[in-house]
Amino acid sequence: MSIIDIIRRGKKLKLFIFIGIPMIYLLIFFFIPFLIAFLYSLGMFKQVVYQYVFVPEPSLEYYSGLMKFPGIFKSIQRSFYYASLTTLGTFLISYPLTYYIGVKLEEKYRDLAVLIIFTPFWINFLLRVYAMRFILHEAGMINLILRLIGIISEPIKFLGTDTAVIIVMIYSYLIFMVLPLYGVLEKLDVELLEAAATLGATPFKAFIKITLPLSLPGILAGSLLVFIPAVGEFVIPELVGGPNTTTLGTIIYSFFLRVRGVTGWGIGSAAALIYIVLILVASYVYMKFVGGEVRLG
Amino acid sequence: MSYAVELINISKSFGNVRAVRNVSLQIRKNEFFSLLGPSGCGKTTTLRIIAGLEEPDSGVVKLDGKDVTYVPTHKRNIGMVFQTLALFPHMDVYDNIAFGLRMRNYPESEIRKRVKEMLEIVRLSGLEHRRIHQLSGGQRQRVALARALIVQPAVLLLDEPLGALDLKIRQHMMVELKRVQREVGTTFIYVTHDQSEAMVMSDRIAIMKDGVIQQIGEPYEIYMKPRNKFVATFIGDAINMIEGDYLEPGIVATSLGQIKTIASDEYFGKRVIVAIRPEKVLIGSEVTGDVDNVFEGTVSMTIFRGAFIEYRVMLGHDIEFIVFKPHVGSSAPLLTPGSSVKIGWNRDSGIILVE
Ligand SMILES: Nc1ncnc2c1ncn2[C@@H]1O[C@H](COP(=O)(O)OP(=O)(O)O)[C@@H](O)[C@H]1O
Ligand SMILES: [Mg+2]
Repeated sequence: MSIIDIIRRGKKLKLFIFIGIPMIYLLIFFFIPFLIAFLYSLGMFKQVVYQYVFVPEPSLEYYSGLMKFPGIFKSIQRSFYYASLTTLGTFLISYPLTYYIGVKLEEKYRDLAVLIIFTPFWINFLLRVYAMRFILHEAGMINLILRLIGIISEPIKFLGTDTAVIIVMIYSYLIFMVLPLYGVLEKLDVELLEAAATLGATPFKAFIKITLPLSLPGILAGSLLVFIPAVGEFVIPELVGGPNTTTLGTIIYSFFLRVRGVTGWGIGSAAALIYIVLILVASYVYMKFVGGEVRLG
Repeated sequence: MSYAVELINISKSFGNVRAVRNVSLQIRKNEFFSLLGPSGCGKTTTLRIIAGLEEPDSGVVKLDGKDVTYVPTHKRNIGMVFQTLALFPHMDVYDNIAFGLRMRNYPESEIRKRVKEMLEIVRLSGLEHRRIHQLSGGQRQRVALARALIVQPAVLLLDEPLGALDLKIRQHMMVELKRVQREVGTTFIYVTHDQSEAMVMSDRIAIMKDGVIQQIGEPYEIYMKPRNKFVATFIGDAINMIEGDYLEPGIVATSLGQIKTIASDEYFGKRVIVAIRPEKVLIGSEVTGDVDNVFEGTVSMTIFRGAFIEYRVMLGHDIEFIVFKPHVGSSAPLLTPGSSVKIGWNRDSGIILVE
């Protein structure tokens, strides 16, 4: 009996391969680190020289330490502000784009069009963000164009502002919105819109009653895929922002990598847990709100 | 009185495919009109032009006497049942049917009343809160029909609506469609590639081939007087054909010898086809002395078809005749393959066709 036959015959083995292995993977690389961070944030896990010590009594010391950190609430607020605008921005750009590609464009050109949208994302993320720095710089392309067409006389300072962070975040997260939207819109049966027209629906009403509800699963997936990591974003605010663009992500980052030590990791873990809780609450509310509308046949 | 639908010299090409060529049709109010033809002959395209889903390259579309050639679909008072049905998957039966009324901003109380009535007409009462994927093929069909009919369109366009159903359900739905059409009193334009569907339901049929209308007429007329070989073969179960030359009035010279036909000057000197429906052919003892055309043949096959018996009879080497014989009240034994038999038909049973 070959190994393939053994796999084919063994029902339990199959179950193990298809469900067990992914579960073990998740356990080792997701749940256990999560547990460690949780214990860290409660001060129950400490590194003393090169030894890890388990302290059986939880304390909220790191959480209160985090709360006392200057500007923490403003930063959390800012994280959500950036993430919301990024989600909205990627949606507003992606929807018409993917609608055009997935519904209007002739089928044979669709894959090519999607590929073209992807090309910038073949370049390393850091390179792209740096390129955006050049574009947004006072002597950069945007200012140059604005000055040439006479809209401004003095260069606008983008770098270091919310605007710069949001522009670059929208750009960086765009494909995470494009893909799920394209997925649903490409499958949209145009005949449904024609049927709506024969029933007296104007193109606008057909869009509201048919296209939009049928693309809700894509909108839901896309906005979660953008929103969740965007709340934790720390590289972009670091690279194109400044002292006024601190986010929850940059705080976690600096506690772990700048402050370090038992306190740095403790407070960093506390911040990470707060991040997770906030994300869970926000996603739950969002799915209840939008997801309740999603009913597919 | 104006026609419900009038097409004047409509043409439409896709690239170099000429889907519809110079089609003219006049469809009367409350008529059950069928567009019949093989797949790819341009039926759907014609229907979509009437609906305004496709713009013709040339020609005029009139609905109730008004030129609507460039009026968008949602402003034409039509209903359509799509070949794929195109039911809205995210809505239940009720919302699908109510859609057209909602687009017209009817009050919900009125909508409720009308949907209820419509559900009764299409016999779907009690299923209003089913989702589309929970329905059988026949039920979906009815939902599509109800959804299109509820807005009381002046014309209902149906694109092979029964294509996907089993034979039994299809036969049942044919009768239902006819009943609904009488009940709501609307013009139906029914597209199909199935000649029996068209024959059963239609007041008139237009037969299409390669984008061109071949013949328009009542089922009886089309069956009895097909205008060309294509129509003759497309309509009906089968037809026997013999080629020959129309040299003398009422006589066609064929490889079987002379065949007596009805006399008509228009065929004089032409190569023609004499066509005879299988049920018009007399066989065995039915062939008496006063039958116009009589031939000797050999039975090559005897097929019991239920309501009748089908004989295949070879005349000479290469002409096979199909003969249908009802067996009601006849206790005569079946003709066995291999036996010699006489067949014949009277001159007025033969149809003369030009290619
Ligand atoms: N959108 C289209 N693009 C290209 N060719 C088409 C299109 N629609 C129909 N055709 C072509 O036009 C011809 C008639 O099609 P159609 O009207 O769908 O025929 P039917 O409904 O009788 O089967 C076919 O050859 C078909 O391939
Ligand atoms: Mg068709």
